[in-house]
Amino acid sequence: MSANDRVRVRGLSICRPIIYGNTAVALTQKERDGLASPDHTHRWTVAVRSAASVPGSGQVGGADDLSYFIKRVTFKLHDTYPNPTRNIDKPPFEVTETGWGEFEIIVRITFIPEAGEKTMTLLHHLKLHPWTLSGEPEIPPLDVALKAGPVHSWQYDEIVFNDPFQNFLNLLTSHPPTPIPRQKRHRVPFHTANPASFEESKGKGEGDVPPEFWVGMISEEAERLDEARKKVIGEQERMRNALIEKEQEYERLKKALTE
Amino acid sequence: MAVSAADVRSALSLPDSSAAGPSNPRKQPSMTRKPEGISRELYSLIGPSQPSLAAQAKPRLKQKPKFATGASAATKWSLRSFNNSARKDGLQLKHWAKASEDPETEYPFAKYNTQNPTYTYSQDEYNRFLDTANRSATPKDGKIEIEKYWTKELTDKLFKLYQEYDGRWHVIWDRADFPPDAGFDLEDLKHRYYSVCRKLIRNRPWPGDEASRVTLINSLQFDLEREQMRKRYLVSLESRTSEQLAEEEALYLEVRRLEQTERRFKHEREELMRTLAGMDSGLPHLVEDNGAPLGILPESRGLNKKRKPTGMDTEPPTPSGAGSSPSVKRPQSTKSAAYDAQHCIIRTELSSNTPATKAAHQPAYARSSKIPYLKNNAMQPKILQCFAEMGLSPSRLVMPTKENVHQLDGLLEAVTAMLDTKKHLDKVEYDIQVAKKQLAMRNGEGVEEGEDTVKNEDAMDVDQGTETEGNEGRGASVVSIRSARSRKKTHRSMSISSVDTTATSVSTRKRQKRG
Repeated sequence: MSANDRVRVRGLSICRPIIYGNTAVALTQKERDGLASPDHTHRWTVAVRSAASVPGSGQVGGADDLSYFIKRVTFKLHDTYPNPTRNIDKPPFEVTETGWGEFEIIVRITFIPEAGEKTMTLLHHLKLHPWTLSGEPEIPPLDVALKAGPVHSWQYDEIVFNDPFQNFLNLLTSHPPTPIPRQKRHRVPFHTANPASFEESKGKGEGDVPPEFWVGMISEEAERLDEARKKVIGEQERMRNALIEKEQEYERLKKALTE
Repeated sequence: MAVSAADVRSALSLPDSSAAGPSNPRKQPSMTRKPEGISRELYSLIGPSQPSLAAQAKPRLKQKPKFATGASAATKWSLRSFNNSARKDGLQLKHWAKASEDPETEYPFAKYNTQNPTYTYSQDEYNRFLDTANRSATPKDGKIEIEKYWTKELTDKLFKLYQEYDGRWHVIWDRADFPPDAGFDLEDLKHRYYSVCRKLIRNRPWPGDEASRVTLINSLQFDLEREQMRKRYLVSLESRTSEQLAEEEALYLEVRRLEQTERRFKHEREELMRTLAGMDSGLPHLVEDNGAPLGILPESRGLNKKRKPTGMDTEPPTPSGAGSSPSVKRPQSTKSAAYDAQHCIIRTELSSNTPATKAAHQPAYARSSKIPYLKNNAMQPKILQCFAEMGLSPSRLVMPTKENVHQLDGLLEAVTAMLDTKKHLDKVEYDIQVAKKQLAMRNGEGVEEGEDTVKNEDAMDVDQGTETEGNEGRGASVVSIRSARSRKKTHRSMSISSVDTTATSVSTRKRQKRG
């Protein structure tokens, strides 16, 4: 390792798109009977993956092996699970379990030593039951849940490294991330920040291809935000004009009162 | 000058003499061969035997305009009245137009009647951004002193005048009868106007992108000191007496003479050194100044520049030119841009004052952690409701990319500003109601003194209520305010403008903590 390697490259930030979240499937009665704890109703997998999906793989994301910059992912499950802190040191960084309830999972990402970065903590709410439009949780009967297919809850994010060390930067650039597709091939994952995607993100039952992140979701969201901002500013403009008018009226009234 | 007999004859319009004999038959055929574009006189001088350049180059004279002949009739023009859409008084004028033109067409010059955008501001905006009177002024020079005189009334008046006279500053200055003790100059008016506009644009949420905002702000720049200096210079330039002019001229010549002497001296010294030591003298070069250190005023320098021989202007390259090059942004080739996009690399310009210490390093972060937190204040439920109505979340993004986080930031800012405006609007509306009621009571005459004070107390009480509780009781009168509060809750429309504090139903559970 040359001395140059441990020099930070200033004025540069490099990011890696990841997704984290879970998929969950309801268990049939037969499957439940085979479990150690038969009160568990779902089998779920919580994972940290790269954002792009492998076509036909049947899973959301995971096109790249993230172990080139992630050393370990720790999933902190609910305390009722045996050995609730699960350290995953090898890809795939995921934990599969069965359970009956939703809870918050603390996802802690440890980077490789070359990064010289502290661990990063993310929080994921384990989602077992299908999304609803109202946002209120609803537990459908078993046959409905089975028919609806797996439940997906994924959050896209970008891990940003500022002024990385030269050797870490070399490492990152030797693994360019697989870009998320430019065309929409499948349905999009549902997200509470975009309730409008509810219908579109619905699965078509068992055997359905999982949702996929694609480039258009970025620009669509940017457009949504921009539109909302223009609307709000227009509204404010209108209010400000009204306010100025009213202020003048008030001035007149005040004058009339003092006369 | 040799004039041939034929020429004299033709000039005097004498009949051609047959006695001219030998010259005449020779000349006649040559006249027929005379090439186009040569005057007859010239041709007769140079003769046919001399091929001339002029004969080869065809003259490019302006073509005789082809006027309409019998075949195509002249275009018909007609005098018609037209509507100037830029006029508001509906004055009908007439102009000549081609008869073939559609009389209904838009007046083509109407579009040049552009209006300056007018800026207005509310009391609150004035208090927050524009009020210079209350600011703790540091009296470093007279500039702040002048700013102090601006009150809202004066600023209002200035803006009214600007609108009325469409930014014709000299007219505005002429018409503005500001208090004489304020002593406003034309520049002070401009300074105030442009600084107010800039502050408004800077502090209001901007619908477009950042670049257009910066362009607009730059178009409203006004440098008071520079402008005042410019005018001072102009005045002093104009008011020079002829003696001063003569003296200046003499001084200039003197300077030039000195410079030349110096240059010659330097040259000779160099020569001497080279002959003696065979090397450069190594003595510092004489800076070829252009008169500034000798105390010549800048305006005379500007005048004299034209007269300066160009050969003397060989200035050595200034060090500032070389020193500024590192700050110039490196042009990014498309290839490297593609590389950066592929690896998700964002390069930022390094500012030289950033300390390169370990403490300054920003640790790795998730992009979503840069989503601004909602401050847990009175505004929060309203912001949440507003976002919910737009189908968005103030704390989460589907795709938290750099641009989207930035967009959300802008949106949040806009929403906060809007709710702020709304709060003031509601307050003023309420004040109006109170004032109207008071006025009505006074005009009612039947009101007794005691009752009036009770009403005033009541009004004050309610007034406090609106300030603490926000937007309740909007549009309610003094008397019916109590009942209006309960009524308000029942019919609340779902437009953004109807956001009020009673709606706290938007859940905050969804918000996540991020590390």
